[in-house]
Amino acid sequence: MKDRETEQRLRREAKALLEQGKVDYIIGFETGSLKFTTTPLITKDKDSVDRLIINPFIVNNLSEYLTELKGRVGIVAKGCDNRSIVSLIQDNQVKREDVVILGVPCPGIIDLSKVEGLVGKDRDELDDVTRDGDKVVVTVDGEKKEFPASEVLFDNCLGCEFPTPQEYNILLDESSSLVADKTASRKGIETLEGMPQEQRWDFWEKEFSRCIRCYACRSICPACFCERCFVEESEPQWIAPVPRWQDNLIFQVIRNIHVAGRCTDCGECERACPVNIPLRSLTKEMYDLVDDLYHFKAGMDKEAAPLMTHYETTDPEDFIK
Amino acid sequence: MKQESEWEPKLLGFLCRWCSYAGADLAGTSRKKYPANIRIIKVPCSGRVDPLFILKALRLGFDGVLVSGCYPGDCHYQTGNYRARRRMAITKKFLEYVGVDPQRIQASWVSASEGGKFTEVVTEVTKGLKEIGPNKLFADER
Amino acid sequence: MANKKINKKNIAKLLGDWSKEFELFIPSKDEGIAKFAKWDGKDTSFLDWHRNTIVPPKAIFFPPVEEMFSFQKDKQSYHIELPSSDGQKQLIFGIRPYDANALTILDKTFKDTYEDPYYLPKRKNTVLVGLGCTKPYDSCFCTSLGGSPTDSANVDLMLTDIGDEFLVEGVTDKGRELMSMSSELEEATEADETRAKETKEATYQKVTRQLDTKDIEEKLLSSFEIQDLWEEIAAKCISCGICTLLCPTCYCFDINDELIKDRGTRFRSWDSCSFPVYTKMPMENPRIEKWRRVRNKVCHKYEFYPMNFDVIACTGCGRCVRQCPVNWDITQTLEKMQAKVQSG
Repeated sequence: MKDRETEQRLRREAKALLEQGKVDYIIGFETGSLKFTTTPLITKDKDSVDRLIINPFIVNNLSEYLTELKGRVGIVAKGCDNRSIVSLIQDNQVKREDVVILGVPCPGIIDLSKVEGLVGKDRDELDDVTRDGDKVVVTVDGEKKEFPASEVLFDNCLGCEFPTPQEYNILLDESSSLVADKTASRKGIETLEGMPQEQRWDFWEKEFSRCIRCYACRSICPACFCERCFVEESEPQWIAPVPRWQDNLIFQVIRNIHVAGRCTDCGECERACPVNIPLRSLTKEMYDLVDDLYHFKAGMDKEAAPLMTHYETTDPEDFIK
Repeated sequence: MKQESEWEPKLLGFLCRWCSYAGADLAGTSRKKYPANIRIIKVPCSGRVDPLFILKALRLGFDGVLVSGCYPGDCHYQTGNYRARRRMAITKKFLEYVGVDPQRIQASWVSASEGGKFTEVVTEVTKGLKEIGPNKLFADER
Repeated sequence: MANKKINKKNIAKLLGDWSKEFELFIPSKDEGIAKFAKWDGKDTSFLDWHRNTIVPPKAIFFPPVEEMFSFQKDKQSYHIELPSSDGQKQLIFGIRPYDANALTILDKTFKDTYEDPYYLPKRKNTVLVGLGCTKPYDSCFCTSLGGSPTDSANVDLMLTDIGDEFLVEGVTDKGRELMSMSSELEEATEADETRAKETKEATYQKVTRQLDTKDIEEKLLSSFEIQDLWEEIAAKCISCGICTLLCPTCYCFDINDELIKDRGTRFRSWDSCSFPVYTKMPMENPRIEKWRRVRNKVCHKYEFYPMNFDVIACTGCGRCVRQCPVNWDITQTLEKMQAKVQSG
């Protein structure tokens, strides 16, 4: 198993980093408390690194923790997480010399909700889910079922442009090939684009009506690094901190504008949302929009100026009277 | 309750104090006529306009928002209008995708000497707003 | 009154009979996620998918946002108007035992020193029809909190799955009254009773997650000052509000006024002690560091609430474990804490 080898190497490297005092912390993944789930492991302890794992369920974007940890950090990063780290460096939130990036080439992460949909069972009722190249094998009640990986990977993984980290200290494996399906990755957006304008607004009204303002989208987003968010400003109060659809929608529109050029389409906001609001249909649209307008992809070059603090005299202005 | 035929759009204008606000002033002193639908807020620079102001204006019931500043290269602070240009571009396009008529979010360059252009812009934007009708986006009961 | 039973096929008819008297809530996925929603007069699909709802039924009594009153400025003073209440009788069908237990726990807060005029009337007007669980999640641990997946203690009427039918037990007078309101119920036989007993025992065994709650208050008290422990526990928490807002026993709320010209409304809405800006309104959040907030969340449920009300404010529904985007797990937390305290 390829993951097993990568895992062994990761543990060795992580242990060495801690032992040699090159880092104060290691951030990686360990086995979670629910079936198939993985969970972030943040540790100073060199024995704990034996719990580090690599598997097709390492979904969290761990760069989220970089802005709060003090000291030097060794961090496990997939392609998208890696770009988030670079983006944080661009924004002066993280110093390059303070992070040791343990890059993991990522073949895409398995979306257990999709698996549940396909087999009609909840994740805790499945015996096993394994990745085998471009297939995923699901064992239910002792019976094996095979699905093309493109049907069970997260939507954002299907649209991934850079599965292999570009900015790293140690690359734990050779670059991995990706099962891409750009159309599937943009499915939500295309459905919306096919609707008349009023219908799109009504769609979002309905979706945001069930937001409970847990702010998991904001809390889990590495690009949302502000210490104080406009939502909680009270003088002036821009929007009410009350879960009404109007205020929820404004919050999310502004959040997207704030993370424009920082969002790497890691998909964490949508995954974290406990009430299934299709947030990635907003973030991915913004991701593509800044690419179209300014040929800017987040987190590609640590020397580059952040998108919105920068300008070109030739920027498009056909919309200006 | 006003009749629908009496309805007049409310347009909120954010005008940069160096160019567009002076342009609006000139329109006035030159006795040029432009629609009274615009309410003006003077800002130090078009770069001062946060996309949040635009959303807030729509939330409060304005039918449209106009952000106007100096021509590229003419910014009193060198680069404020370039930054505004990026912000306005993504705000307008993104809101269009979410479901806001792009006519409600407008931007223009108007210099201090362009009283005439200011008149034209406000007239045109107001006309567009009349065509698309009142902003019911955030109405609690639609 | 003796126990009765109803064929699953006739559930819609039973609900139909009750809906003449009550506004009926059932587990529904109509609004994009599993939550209790008003019955549309026909949907019984939850019989196939319902394990538990994501939004707990507390939302019916204590909604995410609720108008407290509206006010208008007159010349001299303010004119205040309370929201109208129609006093409509409500029925929640399919509530799980641990969620019903959570309401009993919440009641203590809402009628403690001050009788809450928003929560309590709704609670009084509502009958609870429990539906015993047959398929606990791997995140469930209700049996560790003195409950059981088929417990009838906190409902008015209890249904237990016995195959093609449900055994129907009247628990309170309100519940027994419900039984007489429908002709769809048949007399239960001794064999039905036996099958119900078997289901109850079997389901109890299916709850595999265990938490030792013995002397947990004292242990938490002795762990309180161990900063290293709490820092380690809190490390991966991202300070979102999922575990608290979706907790069936969490009740924190924030109050906001909204003014438009001279008219205004006062709202209360769910709040969470996980948020860094929690209780910022008087001055400052006393728990600025994340580990203090995480410690408070755990201690409130397992130490402070028992001190005040003699009951742990957790029913083991497992929502916080299942919905957490970083898999922060309260049972692991408490285990780790106990191990640390025991090792000194």
